[in-house]
Parts: sequence; C-alpha cells; structure tokens
Amino acid sequence: MCSNNPYIPMPVEIIKIIDEVDTHDIKSFRLKFMNKEDEAKFKYLPGQFSELSIYGRGESPIGIASSPTEEGYVEFTVQRAGAIQPGLVTAALHDMDEGAKIGLRGPLGNSWPIEFLEKKNIVVVGGGFAFTTLRSLINYMLHKDNRSRFGEITVIYGARTPGLLLYKDELAAWEKRDDIKTIITVDKGDETWKGREGFVPAVCKDAAPSPNNAVAVICGPPVMIKFTLPVFFELGFSKENILTSLEMRMKCGIGKCGRCNVGYKYVCSDGPVFSLAELDELPRDF
Amino acid sequence: MSINFKQIEEKLKSEATKLLEEGKVGVVLAYGKGYDENHPLPFVARKASDVENIVFNEYCTANMARYIVRYPRGTKIAIAVKAADSRAVIQLIQEDKVKREDLVILGIPAYGMKNAKTGEVVDSKTTCGMYNPVIYDTLLGEEVHGQSVVSPYDVLAEYEAMDKEARWAFWKKELDKCIRCYACRKACPMCYCDPCFIDQNKPKWGEKSPESHGNLMYHLTRFHHLAGRCIDCGECSRACPVDIPLYLFHKKVAKDCEEMFGQAAGMSIEDKPALVNFRVEDSDKILE
Amino acid sequence: MKKTSINKISDLAAELLGKGTLVAPVKEDAGFNFREISNAGQVDLNFYNTLMSPKSAFFPQTEDFVRYDKNKSVLDAQCVDLNLKPVFLFGVRPCDAKSFQIMDIHFSGTGVVDPYWKKRREATTVFGYAFDINTPADGADFYSTLNIGAADPEGSDVFMMKRGDELLLKAVTPKGETLLASLTSLADASADEQKYFDDTVAAGRDFKTRFTCVDDKVIAKKLEDLFHKTEFWEKISDACLSCGACTFVCPTCYCFDICDETLFSKGVRRRVWDACMFTDFTLEASGHNPRTKVYQRLRQKICHKYSFHVRKYGVISCVGCGRCTRNCPVNIDIFSIVDEALKA
Repeated sequence: MCSNNPYIPMPVEIIKIIDEVDTHDIKSFRLKFMNKEDEAKFKYLPGQFSELSIYGRGESPIGIASSPTEEGYVEFTVQRAGAIQPGLVTAALHDMDEGAKIGLRGPLGNSWPIEFLEKKNIVVVGGGFAFTTLRSLINYMLHKDNRSRFGEITVIYGARTPGLLLYKDELAAWEKRDDIKTIITVDKGDETWKGREGFVPAVCKDAAPSPNNAVAVICGPPVMIKFTLPVFFELGFSKENILTSLEMRMKCGIGKCGRCNVGYKYVCSDGPVFSLAELDELPRDF
Repeated sequence: MSINFKQIEEKLKSEATKLLEEGKVGVVLAYGKGYDENHPLPFVARKASDVENIVFNEYCTANMARYIVRYPRGTKIAIAVKAADSRAVIQLIQEDKVKREDLVILGIPAYGMKNAKTGEVVDSKTTCGMYNPVIYDTLLGEEVHGQSVVSPYDVLAEYEAMDKEARWAFWKKELDKCIRCYACRKACPMCYCDPCFIDQNKPKWGEKSPESHGNLMYHLTRFHHLAGRCIDCGECSRACPVDIPLYLFHKKVAKDCEEMFGQAAGMSIEDKPALVNFRVEDSDKILE
Repeated sequence: MKKTSINKISDLAAELLGKGTLVAPVKEDAGFNFREISNAGQVDLNFYNTLMSPKSAFFPQTEDFVRYDKNKSVLDAQCVDLNLKPVFLFGVRPCDAKSFQIMDIHFSGTGVVDPYWKKRREATTVFGYAFDINTPADGADFYSTLNIGAADPEGSDVFMMKRGDELLLKAVTPKGETLLASLTSLADASADEQKYFDDTVAAGRDFKTRFTCVDDKVIAKKLEDLFHKTEFWEKISDACLSCGACTFVCPTCYCFDICDETLFSKGVRRRVWDACMFTDFTLEASGHNPRTKVYQRLRQKICHKYSFHVRKYGVISCVGCGRCTRNCPVNIDIFSIVDEALKA
C-alpha cells in the first residue's frame, strides 16, 4: 500500500517563498523533493496541477507555476483562500516559513497541449491570480531549447492594480525580449504606474492578434473570460483554437472521488485544460 | 368515527385549485402520487392542472413545513398541515422564517397515520399525539373528537427508567449505527441552518466519518439545537435509514422544556422559543 | 457443482472462517447488513436483501490512508498498510454482484488504479445468492430493467441458490472453482440438481421486477438533452430533501471525500463516503458553488448514473436494487424519474 499509492503525498521542502503582491495574500512557494526518486518521477508539462498536502489540514489542488525547464524545484503560486469556507491548506501554507516540509501529490491532470501548440502563433491571455499555469507555459516556450518550436508569442496580462501583478521581475524581463510581445495592463494605475490602463477584453480588442495559425490560451476570473471570449470570436479564432483551464472543487485529483465532474468529464483527470469546442459539448454545470 | 382520507383529499384538491386559480398563492405544498399507494411523495402544485396529482392517505406522514424555507421570502404559500406540521409552521413563524400573512394554512385533522416502512401507526408514539391542527385557515375535515388522548411523553417511560449510565450506553449504541446521511436534519422542519454547524470546517465541530465521537457531536448538538423548538413530528426518526429512535431524545428534551418553562413548542404564534426568551420567573433548573 | 443442507450452513460458515474472513448478512434493528462474522451460527440466509449494499466490502465508508502527528514532520507520517486475509463475501444478490463489475470499471479498469479497491477485490471471493423466483420481487426493485436476472451468476465467483432445504453452489470463476473444490463440508450435487440450477438461472432472466425498456444510449442522450430543461428537474426535485440516504445505501455510488481527522495532535488521513446531494460537495474555497440548488444536485445524481457514466464507461451506473427508493425519507423513486425522463 505504501509504494506507488496515488493517494500518498511525497515529502517536499519549501526552499523559497516569494511575496508576490502588495496585499500579501498571494505567495509563490518553491518546493524541493526530499527523495531523489520522487523528483525523477515527477515529470510534468505546463498546465498540470498538484495537490499540496498538509497533514491535519488537508489538501489543495494548485496549478504548477514553474516550467519543467526550471530544474531542481517545482513552484506554486497560492492565494490565501476562504471567502466562505476558510481555505485551511492555503492559510496554513501562508503561515509557513522557508525550510518547512509539506506533502505533494502529482503531477495531475492534462496539460496545455504542447504538440498542438507547436508551429503556431500563441496568444496568452491572463487575468489576475489565474496567470500561474500560463507563466509555466510562457517560460516553457521561451526556453532556448523550445523557442524555435513555436511561432510568435503574444502575452496579454492584466490585474486590478499594479501591486497585484504577479511575477513582476519576469514581466519586466519579457518586455525587454524581442521574441515575445508583452502587453501588461491594469484596471486602474497608481501614481507610479507608467504602463497601460484598461480591462483585458478591451486591450485584447486593441491588440487584435491575428487568428491566422494562432491559438489563444485564456485564463482568468469568470467575468474576464466572459467578456474576452467574444473578442476572440470576432477576431476570427475558432472554438478549437481557444483553450482555457477549468476549476472545480477537487479532492483525489485522479478521477476517482467523483467530485469535479462536469458532464461525463472529470476536470481533474480529463482536464483541467479544455478547448471551447470541448466545453460546448459539456453541460453548463461549473 | 374514522378518518375519511378520500374526502380530505377531495377537499385538499378543491382548495388548492381555488387558491391557484384565484392567484392567491404561488405554490401549494401537499402530497402527490408516489410509486405506489403506500409511498406518496411531498408534492408542489404550481398551477391548477397540477392539482389532479394530489393525494392524501394514511401514509402522508411527511411534514410539509420542512419545505417552506426553500422558497424566497414573500412567496405566497398554501400548505397542507396535520397537527404536528401546523406546530412546525407556528414555530417557523415564531422564528421569523416565514410570515403568517404569506401562508394559507390548510389544516388536516387526522389520526392513524402510518409509517410506510413499518406499517406502524405513528400517532403519539413518534409524533406529538395531537389530532387537530393548532392553526389553520381552512379545515379540510371534521375536527377529531372523542379519540383517546395519549400523552406524547408516555413512550418515554422505559427510557426515563434508565439511569445516567444506562442512557449513555443506550445512546452510544444507537448513535454508533449512524451512517451520517443527514436525512434526520434534512427531514426536520426546524433544521434550516445554512451551513449546518457540522459542515463547517473552521472551527470543525465534528468529523465526517461515522464514528463515535463525530456521531455524538453531530446528534447531541442537533438534539440541543432543537431544545424548545422540536414540535415532535417524528420525521427525523422516520427518515433515518438505520432506525435510530431520535424521537426519544427530542421528546425527553421537549418534556423537560415544557416542565421548566411551561410552554410547548409551536403552540402559539405569540410565543417566543423557550430558550431564546428570557423571563425573570424562568426556572433555574436548566442550570443544574 | 456442490450442495449442502440449509440447516448445516453453519458448517460451511465455520469452514470459511477457518480459511479467512467471512462477511455475510446479519440481522440488525433496521434490517440485514453485511458484517464480519465471528461465530458461524450467525449466518442467516433468510433475508430479502440487505439495507446497506455490499460495496463496503471493497469500498468501506472510511478507509485510512496515512497516520500522522501534526507536531511532527511529514517524514514521520505512516502509511496505513492493508493486510487482508482471504475474504468470503457470502450471500450477495445478483444485482449487487453486478454492481461490483460496474465499480471495477471506475476504480481499477480505467485511468489510475485505486489500490484499496483492487487489493480488497483481489482478496475476496464473492458468493452470489439467487433471489427466490417463486416469490414476487419487492415493489421498489427494478433490476430486470437493467437486464439483470433474479438468478444471474454474473459477478459472482460462486453462485448459490436454495432448492427446498438444500443450498446448491456452483463455481462461476476459476477462483470460485478452486475454493469450492477445497471445501469439505459440501457434497456433490446430482445431475437433477444441476439441471434445476441451470433452469433457475434461465427462469431468473424472465423474472420481472418493475420494468421499463431502458437502452443505455437512448437514456444517456435523452438526459443530455434534458439537462438544461430546468423546469423538469425542479419538478422532479420538489420533494427531495437533499440528504445522502440514497447515495449511501447505493451499491454503485462511489463519491468520496478525503479528510484529515485529528484528535489532539494525532490524526489520520482517510477517505470517507461523500454524497453529491450535499450542499458543500462542490463548494470551492473561493466560495463559488456550481450546485447550490436541490434540483442541480438531484440532476447531477440522475445524470451521472444514467448518462455521464454511460458516456464515460459505456454502462449505466445502477443495478435496480431498489435501495434508494426503499430508503428515501420522502419516497422519491429513481425508476419513476428515469421513466419520466424517457417520456419527457
């Protein structure tokens, strides 16, 4: 029962904690496997997630924010959850220090369809905290061994305020590169903000990425998704070429516990990544 | 004299039709055809054409008051109630879950109601032993008179004869059977908390698995949440798939409350729930 | 084929007890339930069907994964091992035996294999037990609708039926064959008894419980089309209390929660049955809940069993055992709902 059991987490150590936003409720946790064999087994692709596990608190499914090209660790960006049901795991994580040890199960779920994305122009659209697995995808594509496999890369990323933008150093680095077009926007700037202001859907409309040989990868809060999708339809993107990642309450992460199903699909094992064409096949029950 | 169920059914149908046709109510909470005669279903009529599905027979034990809180405040509701059910309605009015003026109460005088699972007559054994609704706008039959009145607390004799240790052992054994399906709280007209304390995770009051400590935590807390509020309809016990005699505890607490505060739950809309209402002359026995 | 006399069933029970763990129906307050037998005399085959389904033999209501101490390191957590003796699950009705095969597809036949289900299944020999085809079925049953015979040996390793005062036992699988051959408390059945056995299996296929013609693909499609007809589902769920009674007694409901249950600092991570009928089943930590209404949850349950499961696994996730109907506090009947959906 104790080896190769998909319900038993692997031990990992928190080697770095990054306070991402000025409200201090989103932090990135860099985790290192405590057993070499676990690390060797943990082969993942951008878009997958894991269950972060703290005994006595429970488990929480979190998208992997690092790219598999980053070696020696996996990184997760976690928001302290709990509007209605207090997020026991995320709260406990936020109270932890570097050096603490937790559990990890994964990698789980499907991924952004890398083979499908190859040789295409990629438009990555993210809003707020939902940028994590998109960051994984961008870093994966930008890696020197991979960059030539993909066409033009455009990133449109927005947050409510400048202080709420994740991965600020990386965003700055991407803006300096000429092999990726980076458009950062905030709903409302502050006195120091020199960048763009405006909502993501409007910015997408302005940027008007070409649908030719292109795929849009979109993640964000429901309201952003709702208004961004029509923009991409108008631009001429087909439903097969618009991808997103679903969220549902999950427990097992391996398609057994029956919690996250939407129609005949389990979000945890058949997803979380779906094309809009696939979502159209499913009942609106998420 | 025996209860003419068919006549009550006809009266219920004609009242429901009238109320719906005249637009006096949006829904009529009554009973409808189930998969056989012994298994009628709680039924909601929304238009006059739904009324033909209404039935009433001795197996219509369900307490329709349980469904009131499901409708938005202000919905005009007609509800068919037997004696205990009418007390639930009163209790809900006392607790401001519904307003009297939003209800049309269709009272059903009845005895000899039967538990579909066991065939057993429920009257005073698992329900409050009253035959006539306490409150109603229309009575759908003759008031019951002349039936022997049995105290709903008579069934407690055996239980009350047990000492503390025996009672503890009794409840431990009974509650160990619990599978935590929560049918009891869902069938209960007074269990409307959202979320129920047992579903909260911070603080986590009790574990989810059906083991002694979680079961005790759930049931004992629920028993006490219902102190002075339980109107003794017995639905919790009938709902329980593993036959835990929950009614015994509720009856015992109701009896104690009645003795201490001189007030039974759900008897008057002027009352306040016994444990919510502080009166200087209240008994201090509860502190003992 | 073997046989024994009904009044010597305790000899068979004793022999099985000597070989491992015996789980059989035992009479309790609310009805019969499968329990581990400690005394061979407890085995009683005079039951119609058990209150709870036998799924708990493979999927117990709680299954412990890991023991931990909150004050200690994650490295000190102890994985809970599952040491099983051979298990004999005795007296399983044909519809329930069929449920194991349906659950196999989910737990061990597709995707990630559930190690607990698999290990418990492998350790267990299922003794199926025919319904009495000379007595009418319970009014709630509808297994013939799901093409399950009253004396269907499918899903059992050994299949048993009564003939007068005799109990006939026939091996269905090699596992059952090996076991039967090793049991000394059994006698060989006669050719006449063999014929009776085969005739009864055949007659059981014509035995009718409540019946409506259900084709998996037709009902699956029908429910998909009905999914967004809110009015249909609201009407169906007017009576539903949204408790978990139906799912907990169901042989094919497999939803579970993973809980950390801690007392002081020591605790156990375990899985515990959960129910799609509970409000918090789909409540996300963000506060978002896609199924806040009763009709959404009942719709999920019905569609999962009769539509999603067909689309995902090719089979309806219901065996018509009638338990949900018998135990529904308000007499909701899944058979009637399916029937209504077909007509809608």
